Amino acid sequence: MRMPDPDQGIIARRGELAARLRAIVGAQWVLDDEAERRPYRCDGITAYQATPLLVVLPASTAEIQAVLAVCREQGVKIVPRGSGTSLSGGALPLEDGVLLVTSRLCAIVAMDVENRVARVQCGVPNIRISEAARPLGLCYMPDPSSQMISTIGGNVAENSGGVHCLKYGMTSNHVVGLEAVLMSGEVIRLGGGFQGAADGELDLIGLLTGSEGLLAVVTEITVRLVPLPEAARVMSMGFASVEDACRCVGAIIGAGIIPAGLEFMDRKVLNAVASLLREEHDPRTAALLLCELDGTAAEIDALIERVRGLAEQAGAIDIRASRTEEERERIWRSRKLAFSAIGKMCKDYYCTDGTIPRNRLPDILDRMAELSRTYGLDYANCFHAGDGNLHPIIMYDAARPGDLDKAEAFGADVLRACVDMGGVLSGEHGVGVEKRDLMTHQFAPADLRQQQVLKCAFDPEELLNPGKVFPSPCRCAEFGRMHVRGGEMRFPDIPRF
Amino acid sequence: MTAHSPDPIVCRPACADDVADVVRAARSKGQALEVAGNGTRRGLGNPVAAAVRLELGGLGHVHFYEPDDLVIRVDAGVPLAEVERMLAGRGQYLPFEPPCHAALYGGAPARATIGGAIATGLSGPRRFQVGAARDFVLGVDGVNGQGEAFSAGGRTMKNVTGYDLSKLLCGSFGTMAVLTSLTLKVLPAPETERTMLFPSAGLAQDIAALAAILSRPLAVTGAAVVPEGEGMTMAVRLEGSAPGVAEHAGRLDGAGLPAGRVLAAAESRAFWSRVRELDVLGAGTDDLLWRIHVPATGAAGLAAALRRVGLVSSLMLDWGGALMFCAMPAAVSGGLDGAVPHLRALAANAGGRAILLRAPDPIRAAHGAFPAQAPGVRALAARTRRVFDPAGILNPGRTDFLEAAC
Ligand SMILES: Cc1cc2nc3c(=O)[nH]c(=O)nc-3n(C[C@H](O)[C@H](O)[C@H](O)COP(=O)(O)OP(=O)(O)OC[C@H]3O[C@@H](n4cnc5c(N)ncnc54)[C@H](O)[C@@H]3O)c2cc1C
Repeated sequence: MRMPDPDQGIIARRGELAARLRAIVGAQWVLDDEAERRPYRCDGITAYQATPLLVVLPASTAEIQAVLAVCREQGVKIVPRGSGTSLSGGALPLEDGVLLVTSRLCAIVAMDVENRVARVQCGVPNIRISEAARPLGLCYMPDPSSQMISTIGGNVAENSGGVHCLKYGMTSNHVVGLEAVLMSGEVIRLGGGFQGAADGELDLIGLLTGSEGLLAVVTEITVRLVPLPEAARVMSMGFASVEDACRCVGAIIGAGIIPAGLEFMDRKVLNAVASLLREEHDPRTAALLLCELDGTAAEIDALIERVRGLAEQAGAIDIRASRTEEERERIWRSRKLAFSAIGKMCKDYYCTDGTIPRNRLPDILDRMAELSRTYGLDYANCFHAGDGNLHPIIMYDAARPGDLDKAEAFGADVLRACVDMGGVLSGEHGVGVEKRDLMTHQFAPADLRQQQVLKCAFDPEELLNPGKVFPSPCRCAEFGRMHVRGGEMRFPDIPRF
Repeated sequence: MTAHSPDPIVCRPACADDVADVVRAARSKGQALEVAGNGTRRGLGNPVAAAVRLELGGLGHVHFYEPDDLVIRVDAGVPLAEVERMLAGRGQYLPFEPPCHAALYGGAPARATIGGAIATGLSGPRRFQVGAARDFVLGVDGVNGQGEAFSAGGRTMKNVTGYDLSKLLCGSFGTMAVLTSLTLKVLPAPETERTMLFPSAGLAQDIAALAAILSRPLAVTGAAVVPEGEGMTMAVRLEGSAPGVAEHAGRLDGAGLPAGRVLAAAESRAFWSRVRELDVLGAGTDDLLWRIHVPATGAAGLAAALRRVGLVSSLMLDWGGALMFCAMPAAVSGGLDGAVPHLRALAANAGGRAILLRAPDPIRAAHGAFPAQAPGVRALAARTRRVFDPAGILNPGRTDFLEAAC
């Protein structure tokens, strides 16, 4: 992965720029000292690192406006950052760019029970919305595993998912209003404080959600709150083969049941977790499915019996269903601990995010096994089976020369295979820098260009989070020229119709 | 009511490649195109002045339907009713309950296309609980204003690879690209439904009662207040498994409301179809129709104001009060040129936005079918449109919010 060469001229102006920005946010909120900047060198992907030119921590939309306006005037790039948990390198700093950290915009502006929405600043950690909603009997549904730390602004930028998005949808399905600052320093407000506030307008909220910080800095978000589900129970179902588990996933969805969550863990993950939790599984278990069902007690009971029947038909060798909240939490704990448990088993790991049509699960798992042999690297699987969103965990040792390259190549091959099976590069982590160079595998040049030209409407100088998502810049100036000369140039022969 | 003059030349390609040829040709001649499905809802949005109408109704291919994977891909010209029939055959449905509305414009409902449903982005009564049209569009194929074909999105349930163009194009009224095919997420249809009808206690009380119901974990998928006889009726729909619906209905009974009337599955379905298509409004064929998005907390005040000044002959609420429809007599006192902006101003005071769903061409041309946006948002939308359609040849003027500031 290569980033564009930093502009030494800008780096030379670090001090001058720091002074300009301090005038906006206050002296202590601009970090220019090397030691203070270093902790911000990477996000959730530690393999990619760069020390930012400056770190700026504004406290309000107005300060962000002013910071962006100065940077634009000075031709300085900006990388927005929430909590830096991105798993695609979306918040990877630029040596010649300002890292704009949103953690001080952390107020819950309003909890509106009657319209069932919450208005929050972008730096609020996801979990705090649900905590504030709980006394009202409501909750904010999207629950990425990083929800204790990751910000709602980061969630919007990545259109994050979570265990419950199978039934309840991704972040974008829950946003009803946004305030954002364009690179020009202009503030725009979209939608509003109720569901449908943006209906009938061009869906710029839908466009900004998942735009990975390339189009605007999102400063305030209004999200939909829903009643806390009355009850939930989780089933844990062990299978003697991965194929049986995959068949069960298809059978559940095919039967018209949409569980609140449907997760897959393979034997390696179970072993890793077992060593932490001292929880034993049947030695024959090759894969485990966790299936959460919610609703009223009677509905859940009926669904559990149906899922049990389907699992038995698919050859499950061990089926349990939680009876108490404690049991439910205990069963989920293994899933929640999976990544850290794997982390303890190997030196380093790399987790990617391809998504496939559900019925291709067995094919992609075969392909992973084959690739593991080719690259000589071990891997484990723990993923959102219900929506075909894979998270293969590739284990390597960064200290061993060539290992990181091999891990990256392994991951890239898995992602290519996902695309070849009718899937996509990313289900919830975003493209960032990690999958950037694979975009041409998923999209034809015309498809990619159609996305990239949006930059010309939002940030024609390409100062916002450049080098991310797309393998090459948009070059808005050229795009403009092409259009000025118009269609005649491109289509000399007018087809008759 | 929606006479367009002079009649445009109709161009009806049979495949996506031909669509691209048509747009390229128009582009090279600098000629505007009116983009339509079968033209059943041309009265929606602003009138478009174009010499050529590009109809997508000839694109009728079903690319795939994989019920077990909850996904269908169809050409834009496939009738909505046909898509719904196909899904129903496998016990599935489009959860956002798209209104057809063709009858409002004198069009044949059976001919309304899925492309039109997605291009207009309209969502029905269930939207406030399960999501809007845009939440179910996984991917699109289209042709931009340069005549270039492109694909966006995909067919998987989750996908955050690049910008979400599918959402951007859903509801863009054919002003950015001509949609040629759509990949939609579908879901298993609920096993059964039941509707409870309660006499209205006044809109403010009804909305408060609905808010209380909607704050509880009940399988409510419809929450409306509609005219009935001389008065109004509050309607609550429950959907799910038979035992679930029965249990939730029992809880509603205990919610402090007066005893309700119950509509069993078939009656309930018929009732919500009349809500969705606005039949319950009882509007005259010449009445103007409004769709007003408003915070539920502002809806009762707005309704009272509209009635007080005599701007509407009937109105109804959906989405627990966050969506209001009303009928305005064409012969409203003081004349339409005063009444239209007056209603918009009252809606804005209540925090809402009033869209003219149906009105004579000159009224929509003069006042815009859509309310004005903040200048910055309007300019941004215009720039967004321009990068897809630099010459502005696709449905020019259809959505005034995109026309400004170019
Ligand atoms: C242990 C762990 C578990 C995770 N589990 C999940 C999961 O279950 N599901 C899931 O989807 N993801 C998951 N993630 C990924 C990550 O947490 C999400 O992508 C999250 O939304 C990032 O939020 P953040 O605040 O950390 O953003 P950052 O990492 O700081 O930034 C992410 C991207 O958003 C941009 N950005 C941030 N804030 C703004 C803003 N205000 N305006 C504009 N752009 C902005 C950045 O430029 C960057 O491109 C996980 C990560 C970790 C480390």
